[in-house]
Amino acid sequence: MSDGLDRFLAASPQPQRSGLRLLIMLARRPRGAMLLKCLPLAEEAAGATLALGRYDDPAIATRLGWDAEAVVARGRRLRRTEGRP
Amino acid sequence: MSRTIEADFCIVGAGAGGAVAAAELAEGGASVVVLEQGEHHDPDNFTARPPEMLARLYRDGGQTTTLGSPPILLPLGRGLGGTTLVNSGTCFRTPAHVLKRWAVEFGLELDEQAMSACFWRVEQSLSVSEVTPELAGANAAVMRRGAQQLGWSHGYLRRNARGCVGSGVCVFGCPTSAKQHTGITYIPRAVRAGAQIVTDADVRELLRDGARVRGAVARLGDGSRLEVRASEVVLACGAIHTPLLLARNRIGSSSGQLGRNLSLHPATAAFALMDEEVNMAHGVPQSFYVDEFAADGLMLETVAGPPAYAAMSLPLRGDRHTQAMACYSRLAQLGLMVSDSSRGSVHALGERPVIRYSLDAADLARVRIGLERIEQLLRAAGAREVYLPLPPGVAAHAARARDLRLMAFHPLGTARADARPAHGVVDGRLAVHGLRGLRIADGSVVPSSLGVNPQLTIMALATRLAFQLLERPVPCEASIQAENVELSTTTSTTTT
Repeated sequence: MSDGLDRFLAASPQPQRSGLRLLIMLARRPRGAMLLKCLPLAEEAAGATLALGRYDDPAIATRLGWDAEAVVARGRRLRRTEGRP
Repeated sequence: MSRTIEADFCIVGAGAGGAVAAAELAEGGASVVVLEQGEHHDPDNFTARPPEMLARLYRDGGQTTTLGSPPILLPLGRGLGGTTLVNSGTCFRTPAHVLKRWAVEFGLELDEQAMSACFWRVEQSLSVSEVTPELAGANAAVMRRGAQQLGWSHGYLRRNARGCVGSGVCVFGCPTSAKQHTGITYIPRAVRAGAQIVTDADVRELLRDGARVRGAVARLGDGSRLEVRASEVVLACGAIHTPLLLARNRIGSSSGQLGRNLSLHPATAAFALMDEEVNMAHGVPQSFYVDEFAADGLMLETVAGPPAYAAMSLPLRGDRHTQAMACYSRLAQLGLMVSDSSRGSVHALGERPVIRYSLDAADLARVRIGLERIEQLLRAAGAREVYLPLPPGVAAHAARARDLRLMAFHPLGTARADARPAHGVVDGRLAVHGLRGLRIADGSVVPSSLGVNPQLTIMALATRLAFQLLERPVPCEASIQAENVELSTTTSTTTT
């Protein structure tokens, strides 16, 4: 699991946090994934959380035209050169 | 360890309401202490990566959820700036018909004229201006084309931004500090005017002396206790946490309205696969609106974000999700916000807020119609495919509450203002009924759904409150201009 996703899950309030971790664990295992198919809402929650982590991967995001590092670097440059807060 | 500070005003919360009140009061010559539960977020630490920024900038990592049918995700900002730190920056004045309704239903004398000086002052402070078509980006261009095809009323949104370059991550921390949230506008003004800002300060206790509130007690991050003794306390913890703080101190419950009347502006969004390149995160995410159906309680606004954000919200599963995300650069997104008639409540369970809210039949009908309108617009704009946030095989007109995937960003009304003590928690001057020394300046006092993004309303109410406390009129555009003319006349006379 990526650091970002781990922090996202850690910030979640209980009992959601434990629930999400359990759903993600299930979604990553073939038999667990089969089980989740019978629980559409749970499958959706696990799928959305995993997608958040997967597409946050810089390698994947950059292929899709999003370069977070470049956005941040431009922000820093503008704040320095223009004296923004 | 314990220490005590004395001040004229103690303000709890540094978001849309608290920061504004703090700056205006401090600049008016009062001594002010602000107690903020969150921290100061340094933009050097913003990464433009959604999971990490959700964890850092939002309460509960942005995963606060209501209980009810359907459950609704209710992300709330945390830190200097509050939710203004993580909102999209959209600025609407309170609609005139809403102010009229407040006068009739709640006895509040807040007509357009009385509020206009407050709105103007806030708009000047936050550099509010309309998004340009260039900055709005291709996502807005798609929606504009659809609205024009259908002849629907539309426009570019007004935002509190200065020097925006369309980074596309307003809700994940603006990396250019272009968004003029209260943490970089009003809070620095307050500090320059001598206010003390205390972060990581968790306020649980209000000091009382009979029917008068005398201050607040905070537990700081290092475990120490800070007592602020003040002539007036202004609560601005937001519509979820202000009623909890009041209830914990057994204040404001005599009307039976505390923690009730919660409105949220339930929202959802649909995606479309276009033939053209959209690159939704290039430009201002919330930049364009369609208000054709505002009278029916429906507002359409563009929303957008980086791939991680889109992947999380895209209402598809498995291979279809993967295929659609492979075409991320051609995805467009349009959001729907409902001016709700449903009402929820908030109360504490231990240390946590329990937020109850279920969609009533009228709002369910609004969401259904709104989704149909979104699909209509996206098709008119040339969408190849439209992905509505509904389970497979469920049409918008037949959607049940439990089929909906809703979010909400605008909790309001849980300590509502009403001139009559039996019907509201605060009066028209935002003073808690039956008590002296306690005011409220956040979304909790807003007595009804607005139908538009509420930050300007909250800030204008806080401005009005601050000048009432200073016992001065709110400077209006005309008085500032007259002052400038007088100043320039004096200067030229002196020069001569």
